[in-house]
Amino acid sequence: MTHITTKIHPYAKVYAEDAKAGKLDRREFLARTTALGVTATAAYGLIGAAAPAHAAGHAQQGGTIRMQMEVRALKDPRTYDWTQIAFFSHGWLEYLVEYNNDGSFAPMLLSSWEVNDDATVYTLNVRPGVKWNDGSDFTAADVARNIEGWCDKNVEGNSMAGRFAVLIDEATGTAVDGSVEVVDDLTVRLNLPASDITLIAGMADYPAAIVPADFDPENMTGNPVGTGPYLPETLEVGVKAVLVRNEGFEWWGYAENRGAFLDRIEYIDYGTDPSAWVAAAAADEVDMFYETVGDFVDVVEGIGWERSEVASAATIVIRPNQLAEVDGTQPYADKRVRQAIAMAVDNAVCLELGYANRGVVARNQHVGPMHPAWADVPGLPFDPEGALALLTEAGMADFEMEITSIDDDWRKNTTDAVAAQLRDAGFNIKRTIIPGSTFWNDWTKYPFSSTNWNHRPIDTQILGLAYRSGEAWNEAGFANAEFDTLLAEANSLADAGERREVMAKLQGIMTDEGVTIQPYWRTVYRHAKPGIVGWDMHIAYLPQMYKVAFAA
Amino acid sequence: MGLFILRRLGVMLLTALCLTFIVFWLTNLAPNLEKLAKTQGNARMSDEAVVSWLENRGYSQALPVKYGQWLGVLPGYVIEGADGEVRARCQLPGEPVEDASTFCGILQGDWGYSTVFKDEVGSIVATRLGLTGKLMLCVMLVMVPGALIIGVLAGMREGSRTDRSLSTVSIVSTATPEYVSGVVFISVFATATFGMQWFKGTATSAMDDATFENFFLPVITIALYGMGYIARMTRASMTEVMTAQYIRTARLKGVSFPKIVLRHALRNALIAPFTVIMLQFPWLLNGVVIVETLFNYKGFGWVLVQAAGNNDIELLLGVSIVSVFVVLITQLISDIGYVFLNPRIRIS
Repeated sequence: MTHITTKIHPYAKVYAEDAKAGKLDRREFLARTTALGVTATAAYGLIGAAAPAHAAGHAQQGGTIRMQMEVRALKDPRTYDWTQIAFFSHGWLEYLVEYNNDGSFAPMLLSSWEVNDDATVYTLNVRPGVKWNDGSDFTAADVARNIEGWCDKNVEGNSMAGRFAVLIDEATGTAVDGSVEVVDDLTVRLNLPASDITLIAGMADYPAAIVPADFDPENMTGNPVGTGPYLPETLEVGVKAVLVRNEGFEWWGYAENRGAFLDRIEYIDYGTDPSAWVAAAAADEVDMFYETVGDFVDVVEGIGWERSEVASAATIVIRPNQLAEVDGTQPYADKRVRQAIAMAVDNAVCLELGYANRGVVARNQHVGPMHPAWADVPGLPFDPEGALALLTEAGMADFEMEITSIDDDWRKNTTDAVAAQLRDAGFNIKRTIIPGSTFWNDWTKYPFSSTNWNHRPIDTQILGLAYRSGEAWNEAGFANAEFDTLLAEANSLADAGERREVMAKLQGIMTDEGVTIQPYWRTVYRHAKPGIVGWDMHIAYLPQMYKVAFAA
Repeated sequence: MGLFILRRLGVMLLTALCLTFIVFWLTNLAPNLEKLAKTQGNARMSDEAVVSWLENRGYSQALPVKYGQWLGVLPGYVIEGADGEVRARCQLPGEPVEDASTFCGILQGDWGYSTVFKDEVGSIVATRLGLTGKLMLCVMLVMVPGALIIGVLAGMREGSRTDRSLSTVSIVSTATPEYVSGVVFISVFATATFGMQWFKGTATSAMDDATFENFFLPVITIALYGMGYIARMTRASMTEVMTAQYIRTARLKGVSFPKIVLRHALRNALIAPFTVIMLQFPWLLNGVVIVETLFNYKGFGWVLVQAAGNNDIELLLGVSIVSVFVVLITQLISDIGYVFLNPRIRIS
């Protein structure tokens, strides 16, 4: 492995001192420093630890793995809404950066990057020697073209535009002129109009797959040009998808000892019912799961499978929409009503009844201890009597609240737990359950409903997506000028220690305004049969199949 | 006879036309189109994006125009989208717009393109119908002989101990829906709970390679449900025949009992069950939905569920056409078969 000597970001050294002094845990330390461009190996070195060894030593070359996973249709990567799609396409469409369970960002198609002190200039160094599988070189122009594509708001459903919002010119809906600059063949510089600390995290997310020039989203399997070690063999949506090794193609990762051990990866769709997955496991038709949910964790362990678990920031919010009108009034516009709702619900009960205690209790702030700049801000007390008093004071004691949820396992159960506690507190509650096929049509507009949110690496990301005024995904209808200003300030502070002070204020507003009930952080699970290595559950469900292998 | 079949075919076409128009109208209602846009574009897409997505892809045209395009009597749309890209209805994936043909509808033999599966509707329906056909064939092979044997044995001597016990069995099997018997079978024969893990609780691998082990449970689940019903019909018909004058005459002549049953009673007793058996085909086509889901066997029923769940307009239309034809053709066969079984009936 070659080490590239780069200037180590000044804050990285500060963090290292903090980490050594025990003020910072290892995960936080890694997330902060690697986002600033320090390699994971160097970061481990800063705190005097050795980077974890790769599995290469125990891995066997070759073999076929069969994984239970929903097989979905391919589409333009920018518009991916399910990580399962990326599990198939990442065989040939790779990423610039990869996010790991220890919180670090590791270089993939980039070899390294540097961020300036106020996070307004990003210098991206493209990995030399990477080739597309059609033989052409992978260069800085490819990186720049992809970033410009992510910034194109005119593509319907382009969720990368949200992650790169800082680069987008509101008038044209495309990247601001001169913001994406190709310095030379192997260097791209991003000149941001405003500070943003989340771009590297955005590049590691599953819709950020790097596509070739003249990429045709309608014909992805017909013309699979990419940089990855695999090629698509078959794709039958809802049935099966197969990746096979691209024989004869010199993938950049081979030289780096990155893996890609398997010769063949089969994703087999067993529908959405976990009991069918278990039946498939018992019948030895699959070797590993995509994700194990709820009570099935115990069931699959009963048949001898191994567990991998990780505490993530994936969560559920049960939020009133402050703008929603019910019978001509806006029942949740009143802060007292929202506070009453939050006070009447014990989050620990939601975790127990909704997710069988497989997680960590949260404080309705949608920022948690797994985030680098999380501040320890107390939540509202659990006080059902006080809640009812507050509700009566607001004159809403007789109002019937309709709480909507999707029809599934844990989301429905958690929402039920909230509804039951509100009823116990004396609220007037009606529960509505909507099937998954129609639930998402209006998900931001239900007056009071639950939504699941995935893990995001940086604390400010989710606040920006879901709670900034006027955002498309702002399902709580929350609009607070002070919150927006503080969030912009937090986004300019690359140093998590400084940002924490601002985060404390932001979390305080989340609590005080009773924006949402966000009862717990989920622990996510995956199971595989014994004898396989490198298959750990990923904290953000990101695909990293190149690490999987049969044990030698 | 020829005229009769022609007239039946005419009815079939008319039914298919009406039904597809109804399906077309329902799937093109505004909320369904919004759902389509969100499942295809991005589940969390904004309202403006939904509108432009639909406009760019020709979904915002007038209903009769869209239906005409699907039928192939009107030229397919060519629309320059808000994003500057030109899209044509008849464009194949990877093909430039200029090369696309003008008409592409059912009349041109083009069944359309499935939005969920990103594939030709024709080939999807053919593959899935083939898989369900395989399942149905196995079911029929188990169900029909089984049901007829039980029915004939039970109906031979009405009120005997054999009759009572076989009748009880068939009533129980008919009264147990597939989603109950299927779950019971899986828990008994596919898990270690009762120490009888003889079969597989999933039929996914049976799609490529059906073995006794992975295919038996779904087959027996469907077969048992239909078997009881056919057996009851056969028994009723058999008991009636067995009381007929000519059976008594045969017995008085001294013909042996097995010979009476096989030579004289059986053919007459099979007329009623024949219709019922033919009716089982359309029922099977839709009835397999539950069993296919339960055993995760991706056949026609599964396609129907996927198409309906995702508002996949052209796939749903394809499924409807096939369903209409299966129902009406089996009825046609049953009408014609009747004539051969019962010479008293004539088709003008």
